[in-house]
Amino acid sequence: MRRRTLFASGLAGAGALLVGWSLLPPRSRLGAASTLPAVAGEVGLNGWIRIASDGGVRLAMARSEMGQGVHTALAMLAAEELDVPLDRVTPVEAGVDGLYGNLEVFVGALWFHPRDSEPGAESASLSASGWMLRKLARELGISMTGGSTSIADAWEPLRLAAATARAQLVGAASLQWKLPVDELGVRAGVVQHARSGRRAEYGELAAAAAGTRPGTVQPKPRDAWTLIGQGAARLDVPAKADGSARFGIDVRPPGLLHAVVRHAPAIGGSPGRVDPAAALRVPGVLRVVRMPPYAGADAAVAVVGRTTWHALEGARALEAEWRARPAGALDSTRIVEELERTARAAAADDDGFAFHARGDAPAALRDAASRVEAVYRAPYLAHATMEPPNCTARVAGGRVELWVPTQVPGLARSLAARVAGVDEAAVQVHVTYLGGGFGRRLDVDFVGQAVRVAIECDGAPVQLLWPREEDLGHDFYRPAAAAVMRAGFDAQGRLVALAANTAGDAVVPRWIERTLPLLASPVDLPDRTTSEGLFDLPYAVPNLRIAHSATASGVPVGYWRSVGHSHNAFFAEAFIDELAHAARQDAVAFRLKLLDGLPRHAAVLRLAAARAGWGTPPPPGRARGVALHESFGSIVAQVVEASIDAAGPRVHRVVCAIDCGTVVNPAIVAQQMESGIVFGLAAALHGRIDIVDGVVRQKNFPDYPLLTLARTPRIETHIVPSTHPPAGVGEPGVPPVAPALANALFALTGQRLRELPLKLS
Amino acid sequence: MKLNVNDVLHDVADDLVDARMPLLWALRDVLGLTGTKYGCGVSACGACTVHLQGRAVRSCVTPLSAAQGQVVRTIEGLGAPGRPHPLQVAWISHQVPQCGYCQSGLLMAAAALLAANRNPSDAEIDAAITNLCRCGTTPRVREAIRAAGRLMPAAARRGGAR
Repeated sequence: MRRRTLFASGLAGAGALLVGWSLLPPRSRLGAASTLPAVAGEVGLNGWIRIASDGGVRLAMARSEMGQGVHTALAMLAAEELDVPLDRVTPVEAGVDGLYGNLEVFVGALWFHPRDSEPGAESASLSASGWMLRKLARELGISMTGGSTSIADAWEPLRLAAATARAQLVGAASLQWKLPVDELGVRAGVVQHARSGRRAEYGELAAAAAGTRPGTVQPKPRDAWTLIGQGAARLDVPAKADGSARFGIDVRPPGLLHAVVRHAPAIGGSPGRVDPAAALRVPGVLRVVRMPPYAGADAAVAVVGRTTWHALEGARALEAEWRARPAGALDSTRIVEELERTARAAAADDDGFAFHARGDAPAALRDAASRVEAVYRAPYLAHATMEPPNCTARVAGGRVELWVPTQVPGLARSLAARVAGVDEAAVQVHVTYLGGGFGRRLDVDFVGQAVRVAIECDGAPVQLLWPREEDLGHDFYRPAAAAVMRAGFDAQGRLVALAANTAGDAVVPRWIERTLPLLASPVDLPDRTTSEGLFDLPYAVPNLRIAHSATASGVPVGYWRSVGHSHNAFFAEAFIDELAHAARQDAVAFRLKLLDGLPRHAAVLRLAAARAGWGTPPPPGRARGVALHESFGSIVAQVVEASIDAAGPRVHRVVCAIDCGTVVNPAIVAQQMESGIVFGLAAALHGRIDIVDGVVRQKNFPDYPLLTLARTPRIETHIVPSTHPPAGVGEPGVPPVAPALANALFALTGQRLRELPLKLS
Repeated sequence: MKLNVNDVLHDVADDLVDARMPLLWALRDVLGLTGTKYGCGVSACGACTVHLQGRAVRSCVTPLSAAQGQVVRTIEGLGAPGRPHPLQVAWISHQVPQCGYCQSGLLMAAAALLAANRNPSDAEIDAAITNLCRCGTTPRVREAIRAAGRLMPAAARRGGAR
């Protein structure tokens, strides 16, 4: 163990501790203990760690638990470095502070090709851009749970914070016992001196530890880990098995009122004349409140009642004129046709913004001995978090208190302050468990609405809820997209050219406009998310051009689990399958040949293929399809085994292999792969949002089906061991499953399905 | 109005509830039993599943008039502290929940199934568990139900099964 501590020097005389501190950058991510709210009987050691008198560890939790297991995984990092059992670590509210800003999510917005960003092979421009973005993100300090970045972001600072706290605790024992640090050990939160038998619990040492200064502290080396890499049980599961877990809609401050939201039927519409009389005649209805547009939401009306039922009844009774969208009614069929025209025109002219190009793809396509061309399409999709959008707010005495399931507590606080006309410091945010996030809760529209309604309620707390119909009808949707894919082979049958021209709305500029208006750019900058999953294709093709034409359809679009990868992986990996077929090669062998120089990708693909029995005959009536996709730093391959029955395509088995770098908790990785696959299959088989005459046709779950238990396949996950830094797992399981299924259906039927959701003719 | 929920008889103020009010909202907003969730309001997702006389019902479309004089059991009454229902034991050992929002409804649907049939076939599980889950916990649900079924005879002898 290379924990270099210099506490021994403190033995000569208290206080003379150390060096090392000054070596830290001036704005380190350790943070001061004062960042954490003080709690009687607990001692803060830095911005992340408080020690309770019973030795329990309180971990500042700045990431939202929305099912991805982040509370457990981050607690594991702290427990590992502090040498305490995992169940001694309790996540506590971190509050809103720049210290907890997510830096990695910003670095993830860069568009560098993975062949230029392998550790060790990083180009100077990539390193410099990453450094600058981290600096900028540090200044912005936006606390965000998204982009599958939580572990990558916390990996260094949280382990260092916990290791530093341990060093302080051991240092306190060293000073009290006048024994050198090197002779002290920690077992299960107890500092011990083997020879003398002296022992002290963290709780006894915490007060003294706060006054000590550690030397240069390093996190544990890999071979000393006892918890990282273990499939520890999740901390949040017991409360989720007995109904006691508290989600946003479960908070019950005294005197709580309930509000439900009604928007105009059409996207972009608004309430005109509102006559509250009929609604107010419903017993238990208290108020009708008009809400201006907040953070990208349309203007709407809220009905406040004594219970949600009263509010729902009032909303049903509400008499209002609903105005249409001023710029004209949206129509998703027309939009998708227009996207396809845009992509075709860009392909004809080799136009669009090239996110990646090498060689001369236009010339190589022209000179190719044979060509393959195909057009792909993907629809709008809704998030449909099982817990619909909601926020509870109390506005009283110049202060605002929020209880909100959000992925961005700081942005929720800023908007609440703006709406209530108070300083941000007067807004307290409590982040509850999230009943699903998937990107929907990166938006804060419903927070503005809740504060607006609370202002009208004389200091009473109000819980504002979107009925499911409002959620599906007024989401920030996964953008629709179209792609023209072209490839050329030379006379020897080698793939020599690949060009992709995609079209679709950009997500990032729209999100910045509505949530961070001060950072909005007057013109849209190229948005990596439009091309991610295509520009970063791992395959070695000498002439390549991956370009996107950004559109502005007017449909509100947002981050949807795996974002651009959610459709681009389908375009890319279904097309690669077409190319393998055109080349009369096995789909796995074809890909492996193109993965020269990328051993991690090849290993993942080989592992999935081997475990799925690729190359052996599938059970009768079934066929297999494969896809390989890198996203959020992780490489995933999936083999789908499918058949067709009376209800349509049926997936029986999915074999998944992943390299996500260093694994903190393999059980959570497996769970997230299952999650991504089921989420991705629901979209691949059923997911579509249709906008007709401005109105979303899908009203509730019967029109927007998810995957039922009866149709859920068997899923096996295999992890490739890795010592690379940890990468994402919340999203990377989603992208490959749609193309893998489409490829299986081709093998089964000979039909190439180039549009999502997949429908056999 | 009187409601028998988890073996407790609640007197609910008549000015706050009426016979048409769905049981879901009486549980959540009047009695404060928030373990039962709202997901769709149209009996499509099952997040609001509770037991009425031991039968799994979707409380978002069950009017209070249908619950009066009946025995209602919610997730809060599925097990007891220190004496969890076998399904809750299996849910933890199989690490079923992710976001957790739909899990109360899944557990109540599964409990009604196992109360009638401790060794359900795949087809029986498919027919009984039509709850929706957005996180994709379904691959583990089937296994956890099987495991709980195997635990149940022993649990019943201890009086743990309900």
